[in-house]
Amino acid sequence: MWYAEGMSEEPIRIVLAKVGLDGHDRGIKVVARALRDAGCHVIYAGLWQTVESVVRTVADEDADWLGISILSGAHMTLVPQIMEAMRQAGLDHVGVIVGGIIPEADVPKLLEMGVSRVFGPGTPMQQIVEFVKSRRSAAHA
Amino acid sequence: MPESLWEGVRRRDRRALARLISRAARGQEIDTIRQLGPPQKPARVIAITGSGGVGKSSLIGKLIEPLRQRGRTVAILACDPESPLTGGALLGDRFRMGAALDDGVYIRSLAACSGRQAIADHLDAVIRLCEEYGFDWIIVETVGAGQGDTAVRAWADLVVLLLQPETGDELQWEKAGVLEVADLIVIHKADLPGADRAAQQVRAALELAGGTIVPVILVSSRTGKGIAELLDALESLPSKSRRGDDVHAFLNEAQQELHRRLRDPAATSLLALWRSGRIDIHEALRRLWELTGSPQP
Repeated sequence: MWYAEGMSEEPIRIVLAKVGLDGHDRGIKVVARALRDAGCHVIYAGLWQTVESVVRTVADEDADWLGISILSGAHMTLVPQIMEAMRQAGLDHVGVIVGGIIPEADVPKLLEMGVSRVFGPGTPMQQIVEFVKSRRSAAHA
Repeated sequence: MPESLWEGVRRRDRRALARLISRAARGQEIDTIRQLGPPQKPARVIAITGSGGVGKSSLIGKLIEPLRQRGRTVAILACDPESPLTGGALLGDRFRMGAALDDGVYIRSLAACSGRQAIADHLDAVIRLCEEYGFDWIIVETVGAGQGDTAVRAWADLVVLLLQPETGDELQWEKAGVLEVADLIVIHKADLPGADRAAQQVRAALELAGGTIVPVILVSSRTGKGIAELLDALESLPSKSRRGDDVHAFLNEAQQELHRRLRDPAATSLLALWRSGRIDIHEALRRLWELTGSPQP
């Protein structure tokens, strides 16, 4: 948006993906749309990604954020793998957000693993947008 | 930091490449990249263009594996449109390419401003970076806007135009524009009825136009038909388009320069004046000409 005021501000790049055997992609598409309309560059990696392919995508796309949607109940297995793979790839500067069906009790555990925020069902889109836009990862600032 | 990024790219550090591409795409490092001169090992740069939905991403996805079997490393630069209103973009090409985890394959999504000829800003600089890293092939996917987008010609060795069956009548092919800049034409979705007929019509239109013979190849990403033939052609065709004397190259460069100059405060206030409706577009253009005549800020 080169002609607007504030045009020097670079769009935030966020990779959105679903990992593992989880075919419910309506929610992540709605989030993708909201972030797009908020001026982000959304790299939609889509369904059935592996941990390795997601981390590769985040690295190659030089993303500021990774958003993972999990509705399969496998979050306590997949998220630790993702966080570890991100660390090994030297991507500590990339923020990770998780959305989907996540039981209340698991949220503190995910945050402890390094997840920046967990967004459950019914989260207003504006909340996700504001969170993502409020904090550009340190290495990219 | 940029110096270490440059060393990283030469050491084939993918993250350094990714970071430098981000910088180049937003107009940083451009002077450094221009001063690099010709690459040690020029890549084969292939542009894939054609209207939205014709199957550019799917076809590129199908090219990756056979290219790797032939021992080529490849960088794919996928351009998708950016909203002129919000600056946002949904970059979804990567999903359709289904790339494996392979160090010889790099896929990068780039947003292209609307009205910018279907390719991302500073694409030439991004291509040069990928050459510095040492990829054998660089495939550029355009936004897929349609008929008038010919700027890719300036940056690519070969321009491949994708068409599909049932795309208008034979008069469609007589229109000037993108058909003229193609070095190779693919009738994609060749498993659908009408593909042979479309190929015949395109060949007839090209013959009428005279000049060099442009190959027309029937390809189906679904069945794999024609993929090997397409790759053979892409490997063997002489590089034609990437040259400095092309008027498109000049216009594109002029547009990018103008784009840069519009960041100047005088230009920004002029744009604000026009957007407020206080001056009309002709007056705004006249004042813009005056501005561009002044020394660069």
